[in-house]
Amino acid sequence: MIVGSQKPFPEIWEMVRGFKKVLVFGCNTCVAICHAGGAKEAEIIATMLRMKAAEEGVALEADHLAVQRHCEPEYFDPVIEQVRGYDLVLSTACGVGVNFLTQRIGTVPVYPGINTSFYGAVPAAGVFVELCAGCGNCILHLTGGICPIARCSKSLMNGPCGGTDKGKCEVGKEIDCAWYLIVERMRELGRLERLAEIQPPRNWSTARDGGPKRIVLEHIVAEEAEAKK
Amino acid sequence: MKKLLVTLGIDPDRLEMFNLSAAMGPRWAQICTEFVEKMRALGPSPIHAAKLKKQC
Repeated sequence: MIVGSQKPFPEIWEMVRGFKKVLVFGCNTCVAICHAGGAKEAEIIATMLRMKAAEEGVALEADHLAVQRHCEPEYFDPVIEQVRGYDLVLSTACGVGVNFLTQRIGTVPVYPGINTSFYGAVPAAGVFVELCAGCGNCILHLTGGICPIARCSKSLMNGPCGGTDKGKCEVGKEIDCAWYLIVERMRELGRLERLAEIQPPRNWSTARDGGPKRIVLEHIVAEEAEAKK
Repeated sequence: MKKLLVTLGIDPDRLEMFNLSAAMGPRWAQICTEFVEKMRALGPSPIHAAKLKKQC
């Protein structure tokens, strides 16, 4: 899932200051799970904005609303007219949601209420860890299911650097050395010798270096077009 | 919630949570009395003060 964390309130207040009617718009999927931007968090931010406005003696109407997903129009189209009734939408969806709503909302600005951080999992309640970089060229079959792109601080492809120390990364003692994990896992799988194969320089054009990515499922596009005839 | 109050410049002591059963009436009354005394000592909240100032 996409993991994010709420922006510091002073930063939010600076964004919102000057607007009269603000909607804090939450997303109830990924960012709700990481307690950053679901309905509950949107309500809390709206309440804090009202309290801050009262404290500073400025007129501000701050409401909240949430839909299940901000990345598919079916979910927010039913409320889009209501959303357009505000001077500002403070979206607590991930960056995808902010961008997507911006394309469809018209002239109302959409600002981010959270910092979108990474694709991650939840190993324990309240703990979120990055496990995938969405690089567009998965090599997990070569590395025992442990991603060196996302989990090695240097995204190394051919073993650890000199900064590995008792299974930890030199960047931080709390960070596991991905290559330590990969070697241990490959040993466990009886496939350690596969790591002797040198991986050539990687083609990064499938990742950020290749520009914005797009996937089109032609059969679904064709079905949609047929249904509209 | 206390951290959020600090962000807004509000004393976190203005918020407390107590877990009581319906059978703990005397304890509930004691908590209420003590909390009201604490609030009186702290004085009006910044939000209340700002609202009063706006009305003047």
